Amino acid sequence: MNKKKNQNLIRCATCEAVNRKGDSKCHRCASAINRDSSVSTARAWAFLLTAFILYIPANIYPILIGKQFGNSYGNTILEGILHLWDSGEYPIALIIFIASVLVPILKFIMLLYLLINIKINREAKINPHKIYHITEVISPWSMVDIFVVAILTGLVHMTAISIVAGTGATAFVLMVLFTMFSALSIDVQMLKRS
Amino acid sequence: MIICPKCHTLHKKIRLEEGYTATCNSCGVILYRYEERMLVHSLAFSITGLILFLVANLFPLVSVDMLGIENHVSILSMISALINKDFLIVGIVVSFLIFIFPFMLLLSFIALTSLMLLGIGREISKDLLVLISKILPWSMLEIYLVSILVALVKLMGLMQIHFGLSFWALVLFVMLDIYLSKSIRVGEYWELRRRIYYE
Repeated sequence: MNKKKNQNLIRCATCEAVNRKGDSKCHRCASAINRDSSVSTARAWAFLLTAFILYIPANIYPILIGKQFGNSYGNTILEGILHLWDSGEYPIALIIFIASVLVPILKFIMLLYLLINIKINREAKINPHKIYHITEVISPWSMVDIFVVAILTGLVHMTAISIVAGTGATAFVLMVLFTMFSALSIDVQMLKRS
Repeated sequence: MIICPKCHTLHKKIRLEEGYTATCNSCGVILYRYEERMLVHSLAFSITGLILFLVANLFPLVSVDMLGIENHVSILSMISALINKDFLIVGIVVSFLIFIFPFMLLLSFIALTSLMLLGIGREISKDLLVLISKILPWSMLEIYLVSILVALVKLMGLMQIHFGLSFWALVLFVMLDIYLSKSIRVGEYWELRRRIYYE
C-alpha cells in the first residue's frame, strides 16, 4: 500500500503486531523487536557457515548402514536416491531428492542471497520477504530422510537384516538445525525491497 | 494495522463481521478472520488431538514380518533405539521435533483456549501465545508421517508390513494439527485476546 509509511513500521516476528521502528519492545507481546542487527546478521552468517561445513560430511559419510546376512553396506544420501531410482521407485526417489538435496541447496542459495543483500546494503530485486517466507516453509521438509533413517533403525533389527543410522545422519541433522538457526537470526527489518 | 506475512505489504485493519475473511490485496494470503466459534473449535480440536497423540504413542505404528520374525516400532521405541545405538544427537533432535514440541503445543493450545473462553489469566495467555509462536516452526509431525510412508516403500519388497492402531491415530492427529497450527494464524488469537480481555 503506502511504501513510505511501511518503512517506518515493522512487524513483530513473534506475534505479527505492527510496531513503530525504534521501539525496543513489541507493544502487544513484549518480545524484543529492535535487536542489534549487526550482531544478528553476524550470527546468521556464522550459523550458515557452520551448516555449510556440516553439509560436506553429511554427503560423504553414509546416512544409513544396512547389514544383510552378514554383509554390511553403507548408503550415502545420493547413493540411496540412485538405488531407489534404479529399483523403479521413481516417486519416492523424487521425494527424497527434493527433500534432502534440492531443499538444502535452495535454502543455502536463498539465505546467501538475503545475507549478501544485507551486507552490501542493496535493495533486492526479488521481494526478500517472499524469499524469507519460502525458506521458512520449505526448510522442515529436509528432515524427511532423517526420519526415514530413524524409523528404519527402530523397525529393522533382526538377526538376518538390520539397519542403523550412519555418521552422515548426525551431520545432516546438525546441518538442518543450523540452517534453521541462521534463518531465524536474520533480522527481517534489514531486508529491503526495491 | 497489519503487515502481510508473505510479502510485507502494509494494510489497514478493518473490523470484520462474523464469518468473514480478510486477504492481502497484493498476494492473496489470508490475513485474518473473525469467527466467534474459533476458540471453541480449537479447544475441541486440541483435546481430540491430545487423545489421538496419546494413542499414537502407546501402540505400535507399523509392524514388519520377515520369515516369521515380527518387529514393530512406535515413536518412543524408535527414539530409544537411536539413543541406544549411540546416535545421541539424532535421537534427541528427533524426539524434540516429533514428540516434545508437538506435545507442548497441544497442552499450550488447551490451556490458552480454555483460559480465553473463561476470560481469565490475561498475562498467562500472553506468555502462552509467545511460547506457541516460538515452538510452531519446530513441530514436524506431518513430515514424520510422510517419512513413515517413504520408509515403508523402501521395505516393501523385503518384508510384509502391517499398519498399527497408532498409525491411523497419527494420520488423524496430523490432519487436526494442520487445522490447529497452520490454518489458524497466531495473529488471530492475539486479536481475539484483545477483544476478550480489553473490551
